[in-house]
Amino acid sequence: MVDKGLERTIAERDHFEFLLKFLEESPYETSHLLIPLVKANLEHYKDTVRYIEEGKPIIASYFSNAPEIFTAMDIHWYCPVSAAFAGAGANPYLMNDLEGADKLAVSSDICTLLRMAMYYTEAGLLPRPTAIVGMIIPCDGIVALHEASRRSKQWRGIPMFAPDPPYFTDERSIDYFAQELRRMVDFLTEHTGQKLDIGRLREVVEVTNEQYKLWQEINELRRAVPCPFNWGVGGGPFALTQNRWVGDLRGLEWFKAALADSEKLVKAGKGWLENEKIRLLWFDVHPTWFFDLAPWLEEEWKAVIVMDMFSYCPYTLVDTSSEETMFHDLAKRNLMDTTMIRQAVGVADNFASDLVRIVKDYKIDCVVWPAHMGHKDGAASVGIMREICRDLGVPFLSIGIDTFDPRYTTPDEVKNTMSQFFTAMGLG
Amino acid sequence: MAIFNAYVKKMAEYVEGMRGKGRQVREFDCPGDPGKLLEELPVRVGPEASSGIILRGDTFVELGNPDVGSCAFLLWTDNPSLVGDGKITLIGPNIQESEGASLPFGQVLMVRGAGLGKEEHSALEQNQYIADQIEGYMLKSTSERMWGRVSKDAATKGFDFDTLGKALMAIFKTAVPKVQAMEAIFVTSDKEDVRHLDNIAEQVRKISKDITRETWLARGYDILECTLGWDCNTCSDKPVCDEIREVITVRKKKIRKTKTSSNQ
Repeated sequence: MVDKGLERTIAERDHFEFLLKFLEESPYETSHLLIPLVKANLEHYKDTVRYIEEGKPIIASYFSNAPEIFTAMDIHWYCPVSAAFAGAGANPYLMNDLEGADKLAVSSDICTLLRMAMYYTEAGLLPRPTAIVGMIIPCDGIVALHEASRRSKQWRGIPMFAPDPPYFTDERSIDYFAQELRRMVDFLTEHTGQKLDIGRLREVVEVTNEQYKLWQEINELRRAVPCPFNWGVGGGPFALTQNRWVGDLRGLEWFKAALADSEKLVKAGKGWLENEKIRLLWFDVHPTWFFDLAPWLEEEWKAVIVMDMFSYCPYTLVDTSSEETMFHDLAKRNLMDTTMIRQAVGVADNFASDLVRIVKDYKIDCVVWPAHMGHKDGAASVGIMREICRDLGVPFLSIGIDTFDPRYTTPDEVKNTMSQFFTAMGLG
Repeated sequence: MAIFNAYVKKMAEYVEGMRGKGRQVREFDCPGDPGKLLEELPVRVGPEASSGIILRGDTFVELGNPDVGSCAFLLWTDNPSLVGDGKITLIGPNIQESEGASLPFGQVLMVRGAGLGKEEHSALEQNQYIADQIEGYMLKSTSERMWGRVSKDAATKGFDFDTLGKALMAIFKTAVPKVQAMEAIFVTSDKEDVRHLDNIAEQVRKISKDITRETWLARGYDILECTLGWDCNTCSDKPVCDEIREVITVRKKKIRKTKTSSNQ
């Protein structure tokens, strides 16, 4: 009999198995880039099933808990919120999951992603981990998620630790967070029996450093006019640096291949769209229903998402010269640089300075702040973003959506709003 | 305004210190007029002068890669005795001497103008990042570090630090008309030499942040801190914090009690 907590994981594993077979049997121009990503996911889900079935320790954690440390300790982990991105595409269970989340006795103004994670826990859709490493940034909602996990019937009694993130970003704060990461290592050792080998950590971090450099290089190519990529290009780098195959040489090979392909496109002067008219900055994460909106933007308005919050990559490269420098720089990267954390925990100046650089460097024609209902931190910075865009002479649109729930503001409503905006601003 | 004057003086000491260490220090003079500055350049300068991209294979020299060090900052003053006009100082090898190299990179720009004040600070800061304005020269779109490339084509045309300095002067004088005089210091000699600049940069960045904050405050926004001023007595969220403290106290008592009973 299949453990209830593995039901969704097994479905995911089977989905990626099918996808891999399909891609290998029907190769096309860019399938050599897609296949490694599918393999990374397949391997992840297979491992999760195997670990649970064999009773091996498995950790539930989050992308901003220095995943290099997990790799270096040879600990298998999964992210509880990733179930919302099932299939790495349009989530086939979305409506069911949303309705499940709606039924929870949880305030509906908490980020839907977090409410979905609460639902997954309550409904037994997540494998029961040996221990949990929480992430209590960037928002209040995620703290509520961990409280809900602690009290849920399914997960009650599971040991939990969360590195304590200071609000400030000075050296004292970074050192403090580095110490918290060391405490995380102790916690992991206590509950998995695995130990951290500093030499192995150095190897892993050196690989991720290279990956971040190559990611940066790929990003630079998006400055080309016309832009050689569409919105999908940011997913792979994020997945491979912070979720799957972290610090794995196979991931590094993917970056090298992706960059080589990208350079060919730029050299050929080939744009993603033949007639690019609008270079758009989507200044937040992609909605799970972007598969509907983004192609429409391209077809209807010749608008390309040149840059977005997940893709922009101002990550600290870790100094691997000593254990101290590694922990220090990993703390800095995870406390200050990671997507959403940089913007939501950091000062509004991060929003402001990133916005100026991106608009100028990437020749942005308009900025869209989608205003996800859970990103209240960003909502507090809308005025600042608007003022900056006025200074730069770039039109700015704040919409008001739910990144995970297309019922909140439907894709059609968003399309209508964006059409009105483009028309009023004389774009496209 | 004298906000950065002490640091302009420190830069003069820094250059002398580098001479004292035996570093190769070269100085170039150039005209003050932006039009004349542009006339002398081997590459185009101005909006859309470049695509903004230099591929790895087209790179003649890389500047400021994180592996070799990078530091950049800007100082401004209204004191004519501190900043002259059109002086470019290069400490270390020039572009043409460094084919295929990855050089450490320090860039300190010092500008002077009679009416320069905090209002111009943001524009001055932003103009350090040239985006697409210099043909054959690219700055990567990263925060916190100046990481650039010079293309093979530009190097063939004669692009060097004299060119870069002149181009930056033309860009600044055009974009911020209050800039009357400008000097540039480039450091490519050694990672440690660039790291020494960090000591000055750290202080300069603190001041810069304060000015940025002040400018935004005047527009009605605090971009660095909670505007409540950390006075709990005037904060409307005080009841929430009080409740959290109570919960923590209860929880701690509970944990203590559990530990005590399990020890017995």
